[in-house]
Amino acid sequence: MRPLTDEEMKTVLDKLANYMSDLKSLIAPLEDGDRYVMRLNHSRVYYVKLSIANLATSISRDALLSLGTCLGKMTKSGKFRLHITALPIIASGARHKIWVKDNGAQPFLYGSNVVKAHVGRWSEDCPEHQGCVIYSMSDVPLGFGVTARSTTEARRLDPTGIVCFRQADCGEYLRDEDTLFAG
Amino acid sequence: MAPTRTVKNKHAAPKGTSTGGSKSSFSGGGISKSKGKAGSKSKAPATQVKGRPNLKGLDKKKKQKSYTEKELGIPELNMITPVGVTKPKGKKKGKVFVDDRESMTTILALVQAEKEGQIESKMMRARQMEEIREARRAEADKKEAERKARLEDTKESLRRKRKRTAGKSGGDRDDGEENVKAVALTGTKAAKAKKKRVSFAGAD
Repeated sequence: MRPLTDEEMKTVLDKLANYMSDLKSLIAPLEDGDRYVMRLNHSRVYYVKLSIANLATSISRDALLSLGTCLGKMTKSGKFRLHITALPIIASGARHKIWVKDNGAQPFLYGSNVVKAHVGRWSEDCPEHQGCVIYSMSDVPLGFGVTARSTTEARRLDPTGIVCFRQADCGEYLRDEDTLFAG
Repeated sequence: MAPTRTVKNKHAAPKGTSTGGSKSSFSGGGISKSKGKAGSKSKAPATQVKGRPNLKGLDKKKKQKSYTEKELGIPELNMITPVGVTKPKGKKKGKVFVDDRESMTTILALVQAEKEGQIESKMMRARQMEEIREARRAEADKKEAERKARLEDTKESLRRKRKRTAGKSGGDRDDGEENVKAVALTGTKAAKAKKKRVSFAGAD
């Protein structure tokens, strides 16, 4: 387990900035004087309290399975891939949102893209290919994706047209159970 | 004092001479095992090759003539140096981690500003495209409306013409009606052409 390098940190924050509007809240100091830091172990990036990270140094790298919240994985080519486990952090400061109707929640959780017919409402002024968080109508975050069309274009779309490409959904907790936390 | 000095090691003597000891430098008495500057005047130098002093001088000259490649001004060899091989001097080895809050905040601010700019430009572009599309649509609508209006005009003019012709031929209305009746009775088929007859000149 080690802290992130300059380049890695930039890559991670760049990806997070696609979905979040306020990144500063991520590293803001907590009331008890503690703060959140990012740690890398087995090419996975963890978002964890500094005190816990310090405690975890007593565990060998091989034995350490996970700590804090796993944000995602660094690929071998140096890119960063967000995992569904990062959803609570992303959802707390989402830049653009899409609310899906109840009839659209299940198809989304099964891994399909969001079609216009399933959209309950969406945030205005959302450009094309921009990260957005998918919510159910009762404001429960279901996953996140990338918009296929801008809001104005999506209005003219037919009901079966894709509005948002899925990136991760809560169904992955079941579907990718074996590989989500290790491997 | 010199005579008391003995050289126990055979190999030590030449070394001492080669490193350049002199009479003046030799001050310490007694047995010296040292290979250093101390050993100078012994039997060995006398028996040694005459060329020694020259060698000494050569060594000194060599030391003076130590130039770096840059100083000599020799053209550099045209060879490829792999990226990993050239290491910047005076730089710390290994990765530089970002762990303190200040540097993290700096990177964060940098990334956020960059992203904001990107999104803003994206939005601007989308808005511009939307405006262009809107203008095109408006133009197309206008053209369509014009075409329709022209069509209506021609239709109207045709109608008016027909009415006018109908008004002019008011006395012939009965004939027209008769014609219509005749058409209704016979159908709109074209009138049958007279059967062609062939007559021979001789037959008449």
